[in-house]
Amino acid sequence: MKNVMNRRRMLATLGGLSAALLAGAMPARADDGEHDRRPRSSTTGPVPLPVTGIKGKVVIVGGGMAGVTLAKYLRLWGGAGIDVTLVEREGAYTSNILSNLVLNGNVAMSSLSFGYAKVASSYGVKVLQANVDGVDAVARRVHYMRNGLPGELPYDRLVLAPGIDFDFPPGLTTAEAQLAAPHAWKAGAQTLALRDQLKAMPAGGTFLMTIPAKPYRCPPGPYERACVVADWLRRNKPGSKVLVLDANPGITAEVATFTRAFNVTYQGIVTYIPNAAVTTVDIGAHFVYTTFGSTPFHGDVLNVIPPHRAGRIVADAGLANDPVGKFAVVDVLSYESTMIPGIHVIGDAAATTMPKAGHIANQEAKVCADAMIRLMAGLAPDPSPVTNSACYSPITRETASWLTSVFAYDPVARAMAAVPASSGEAHAPSKDHYEDMFIWFDTLMKDAFA
Amino acid sequence: MRHAVLLAAALAAPALAHAQAPASVPGRLLASNCFQCHGTDGRGGFDEIAGKSPSEIVNKLKEMRAENKPGEIMNRHAAGYTDAQLKLIGDYLATRK
Repeated sequence: MKNVMNRRRMLATLGGLSAALLAGAMPARADDGEHDRRPRSSTTGPVPLPVTGIKGKVVIVGGGMAGVTLAKYLRLWGGAGIDVTLVEREGAYTSNILSNLVLNGNVAMSSLSFGYAKVASSYGVKVLQANVDGVDAVARRVHYMRNGLPGELPYDRLVLAPGIDFDFPPGLTTAEAQLAAPHAWKAGAQTLALRDQLKAMPAGGTFLMTIPAKPYRCPPGPYERACVVADWLRRNKPGSKVLVLDANPGITAEVATFTRAFNVTYQGIVTYIPNAAVTTVDIGAHFVYTTFGSTPFHGDVLNVIPPHRAGRIVADAGLANDPVGKFAVVDVLSYESTMIPGIHVIGDAAATTMPKAGHIANQEAKVCADAMIRLMAGLAPDPSPVTNSACYSPITRETASWLTSVFAYDPVARAMAAVPASSGEAHAPSKDHYEDMFIWFDTLMKDAFA
Repeated sequence: MRHAVLLAAALAAPALAHAQAPASVPGRLLASNCFQCHGTDGRGGFDEIAGKSPSEIVNKLKEMRAENKPGEIMNRHAAGYTDAQLKLIGDYLATRK
């Protein structure tokens, strides 16, 4: 097993190097003049890493926005002495950001796929495609399965970044039912299934979507979806409706933007009902039962986004210690679990005061990287970290809005707190914001994956 | 195989030319809040922010923060940082060329 591992790792590393050489690589990364706006990472070949003298073995489980950013920045800031292995189940990451635009055909699914070759070749991150099935926190080893064979990885520090899993309601517990009423809240096959159902929906029909109680991934995302779908339906299937059943008492993000969108832009198309948490789904009858009265709601297409919990490995490792037992409580100076020393949890799987979203997960990863490097050097983490959330949301096929907030560490609450003056949303959706959305997305994904 | 090892050594060589780097650099973590939209180390994205003078960055951020334009994303964003933090960010980005 060990031999297989070592050979695989070596191939990954050498593969990256030889690809760089074939490209005529080495310092193709000119110390660019001001006309060259390419990020350093857009060039091929290894990025020079600092020599810090710091050594350590880090295993990261999960190659989403949080995990891959952490892998990159541990090497970029901590140097080659930090051995980083990124373990990911899939061969590539599919972005949830922009995936609502697959539904209206503005974005191709393939443009949302991001691989791990760049973090391997540019930063020397070891990438292992495997399914982690256990953590031995005493022996400090991660157990995994790869191609049906077990293996293990030793670590000095472990980071879990598995994202989310769902608590499916009654009626949605089988794989068939989950495809019949797709959540499309993990982009990929689910997104395509929902798109196909939308396309096949009869004109005059109802697209029924449900929003789980907070905390869920991407607070504006469901409302954004309602807008994008309503816009598509009014152009392609006139007379159709969008019914939004929200478990929350009101719109949870960009309240002004989405209130106006539902009441004005999509008046007569979108119906928004708060305090309607799903209790049961009847796939056969196309009914959704909720806490809002006893009468079920009917939809021709059912898009049920179930309540969330941290990816399963978090609970399996005994780290789901928030009050409802779903997410991992962490010290936000380092993202170290409050349950087990040496294990950190970042991104959507952590219980924090910040939103669960890709942009802020990227920043949590940088705070975590900086803290881990300091800890490995025998220093304390930065006592006053800052993170930020920013996000663009399409409102129609050609306009978008944005929201942003900066979070600062509150030493009394020992939590991140939004800086009030920094929190805001766009005054109105615009075509300029729509263009900016793609610059933001492209730059964010490069900051994580390249 | 031996070839690969030699090549790997050659590629690693530039790193050796650097002096010992510290575990933490003042302003680096703060400035990394800019990277999602302005590229890793401030190279890329909306506007080039790396390699300018510290005062140019700081003055621009203070100017955007002071404007009465809550509908501009940088007006909101700049309000998230103290003057001391803006200086750390400006000083760090100036070292990125």
